[in-house]
Amino acid sequence: MSDATYTKTTVERLEPYIAIIGPLVMILAILIFMGIAEPARYFRLTNINLILLDAALYMPMAMAMTFVITQRGIDLSIGSIAALSAIIMAFLIKQYGFSVYVAVPIAIMIGAVLGLINGLIITRFNVPDLIGTLAMDLVYRGFALVLAKGLVLARFPDFLTEIGRGQIPGFVPIPVVIGIATMIGGFLLLRRTYFGRYTIAIGSNPEAAELTGVAVARHKVYAYVLCGAAAALAGVMLTGKLNAIQATSAPYFNLHVIAAVVVGGTSLFGGRAAMLGSFCGVLLLSMMINALVTLRIEFFWQSVASGVVIVSSVALYTWMQKKDRDGAGGWMAALATPEGQKTLRFCALLIGLLIALLAIGGLTAGSANPSG
Amino acid sequence: MSPPLIKMRAITKRFGGVTALSQVDLDAHAGEVLAIVGDNGAGKSTLIKVLTGVYQPTEGQLFLDGSEVAFASHADAIEKGIDAVYQTLALADHLDPAANMFLGNELTRKVMGMTLLDNKRMRAETERVLMERLGVQLKSLDAPTESLSGGQRQAVAIARAVYHEGLRVLVMDEPTAALGPQETARTLKLIKTLKAQGLAVILISHSLDDVFDVSDRIHVQRRGKCVGVVETKNSNTQEVLGMIVGAEEAA
Repeated sequence: MSDATYTKTTVERLEPYIAIIGPLVMILAILIFMGIAEPARYFRLTNINLILLDAALYMPMAMAMTFVITQRGIDLSIGSIAALSAIIMAFLIKQYGFSVYVAVPIAIMIGAVLGLINGLIITRFNVPDLIGTLAMDLVYRGFALVLAKGLVLARFPDFLTEIGRGQIPGFVPIPVVIGIATMIGGFLLLRRTYFGRYTIAIGSNPEAAELTGVAVARHKVYAYVLCGAAAALAGVMLTGKLNAIQATSAPYFNLHVIAAVVVGGTSLFGGRAAMLGSFCGVLLLSMMINALVTLRIEFFWQSVASGVVIVSSVALYTWMQKKDRDGAGGWMAALATPEGQKTLRFCALLIGLLIALLAIGGLTAGSANPSG
Repeated sequence: MSPPLIKMRAITKRFGGVTALSQVDLDAHAGEVLAIVGDNGAGKSTLIKVLTGVYQPTEGQLFLDGSEVAFASHADAIEKGIDAVYQTLALADHLDPAANMFLGNELTRKVMGMTLLDNKRMRAETERVLMERLGVQLKSLDAPTESLSGGQRQAVAIARAVYHEGLRVLVMDEPTAALGPQETARTLKLIKTLKAQGLAVILISHSLDDVFDVSDRIHVQRRGKCVGVVETKNSNTQEVLGMIVGAEEAA
């Protein structure tokens, strides 16, 4: 009997790694597609640098968001936190003559405080995370607008631009080093600390966590503080990258980061964290968007593509987890069931839709208006 | 017989106008299995929640080893040596067995001034406790707990309770309700093992077969009251069933 179970575990053994395999397969698909469509421009060293530079910006936030989502939470205010803390930093440097070495830590601290406010609103006042952070998103964005009015603050000291787009000669850009460092930090945090352990426990079974004496509310607040600080770091990196910041910066951070984390296999229903998956997810989205740009597809189609990728990933993961709960002998066996067939058809439809959209976008943009 | 380890005297618990427990007495000895049986709503769960500190009794006294105690919380009861394994097991399914066993009570080590989890030691301890105390070997100690069978998950939950050195009373709420026949047999064996190690085991069960298999005495609850305690070997299913539904009073 044990022999029988061992032979069928090739698939079973893969299951825990599906989180990483999912985005890896999609990355591979993009590589192959681009290898055929636009190999010369896509695989240029400068372009790969561009992809990494774009991905680096989202890595700290994806790391922190992995904790928040694993705890069954969500943070929809990171874009505004990034903008507000970057604007405050910009004012400190430009108007009050703060040293950049002081202003950057202050910005990250402000982000942490804003995250703390989010956390307290959710745990103390029992406002659902979705509504709470969405409302605070408006508040933080409002403050950013009040402070900066229509201004674009630009031209910052070298230290900041180094953080945002500096290059280690013969190696990768500095922001990539920062991004990967935060990812590694997040991985260790998840595996080796109370915070990481309790994050999974809270998401997996909040009642059990409470019963065993885990301070559930406190660890929820920690996750939002981490998320706020990471968003502020991203705001600093963005400011450095553009060498400019305004109140309306970073409008797409929320969904982009959540998409990367969810595509990476972290479960929206809590308990299942995939730090490596989040890393792959960030990479995947940056590669996809870059591919659309390389194909000269209009900017607005990016939003469509991101949305489709999110919906199909979530549908797929949800279905796979349902199979886990049913104990129907793994997801491969489950594909054979009528319901599995239905889901397969649904996924195929979505992918077909995506390809059709890309084709339409490519045709219209390519012929009529090469906007690039 | 030695004096009881746990003595509950005239325990009454009211929720607003509803009396869930009324003047219930309960004795449990070390090294014995006391079964609590009764219909739904008979007050079994409330009774053990009072015992494990989840609820505070409205009236009545609780004695542990002869001295009166009052538990402010479940954690308080655990500290004094009374723990429970619930039907839902209270496991975080996405964590591995070792993480579950030490949840809220992790082993740590210092690395450059930082307190980090000592996963290796927790894993070794889990393996040891499961093997030495419960005689259970898990299919895998590295997979998430959700991949284990019902019986093995239960073993993890029990291991968590018995790992506490001071544990003297273990309450098990419907341990066999969700298990198949083989796993049920294993769990009953586990209960006997724990009893042999000198624990007082309090078993709540709907299955009279299980109750007659492992228990020494049976405490019958009906409508919030204790309607009798019988010695298992001097009783039979018919008698206990009669007490549960109240047939004897009616007759």
